[in-house]
Amino acid sequence: MNEIVVVMLAALVVLGCVLAIRESDPYRKLIALSLIIGGTIPFIVDRGLLDVAAAVALISPLSTIFILMACPGGEP
Amino acid sequence: MDIVLLTTVHILVAAAVCWLNFITIDMFFKLPERGGVVGASAIARHIEARGGSLDGGTMMGNIVSSPDASAGTLLAACGVFIAGIPGGLLAALLVFIGNRICHDKGYAGTTGCLTATFLVYGFTLAGFSAAEFIAGMVIAILSIQGISHVYASRVLSRIWRVRRG
Amino acid sequence: MEGEEGMTPADVALVLCGAVAIYAGIRVALEPDTLRKLPFLNVLSFAITGIIALLLPHPLGIVAAAAYFVGSTLESNAIASTYAGGLDRG
Repeated sequence: MNEIVVVMLAALVVLGCVLAIRESDPYRKLIALSLIIGGTIPFIVDRGLLDVAAAVALISPLSTIFILMACPGGEP
Repeated sequence: MDIVLLTTVHILVAAAVCWLNFITIDMFFKLPERGGVVGASAIARHIEARGGSLDGGTMMGNIVSSPDASAGTLLAACGVFIAGIPGGLLAALLVFIGNRICHDKGYAGTTGCLTATFLVYGFTLAGFSAAEFIAGMVIAILSIQGISHVYASRVLSRIWRVRRG
Repeated sequence: MEGEEGMTPADVALVLCGAVAIYAGIRVALEPDTLRKLPFLNVLSFAITGIIALLLPHPLGIVAAAAYFVGSTLESNAIASTYAGGLDRG
């Protein structure tokens, strides 16, 4: 993989982690979590594990939906 | 350095082609008319509160909450890049399934994917690479959703007023 | 200099998609309103889908890219609908 793209994706994952720690609202934490997932999946694809990447890409939104069932309404 | 310059020019041309393709298909299927789900209308209201336009905001909300013609164009370019025309048709099938998963009754994504498949394949014969169309579609969606929501929604609203007559 | 291969169009497109992805990530981090973060997140998922397809040209890559894109869209849809007042699906 191109080295510049590796650095960019790693920076994206770190940015998502920092954002997920610093935010307090649960919705904003979930958005930061999807930033981390988006930065991670290209690393899985780069190793050739396309089926694992598809599985992770489908499982993570489903887990987000399950977490959202426990969240209170955001705006009145 | 020469090939980088040539590729950049190709990417800009591809971005213009992709932009025209997905705006035409989305306007044909009347995406700015109403929000498909609750979330699309809420995004439109929040964009309007910042100073944007409601019709353009509704279309942006629909793009966010369901795979429409822009997603179809991107996946068609990916399919043609990987496997030629059959890849584009497989991508159209997957977009159709994705539309049904996201509770969308329309056919904008599938239609956009089919037209984009043949469009990208035609440009491939003319010396373009399908990878340039992937980058071009990313630039096109950046111009709508990523630069300024206020001005993008106003531009979309103006196009929608022309189409509605 | 004839030993140097130079960049192919796919490399240029890959770097461009990465640049758009990091730009969208920064815009998501800086946006104060929760629902207005979602269009920037959509730009990010477009760029990541392009990166997936450009990294490994294999037929299963189309399925992986489409799965990622549909999953990300479903996630945005659920977040926006819940934030705006409850999921209305069964």
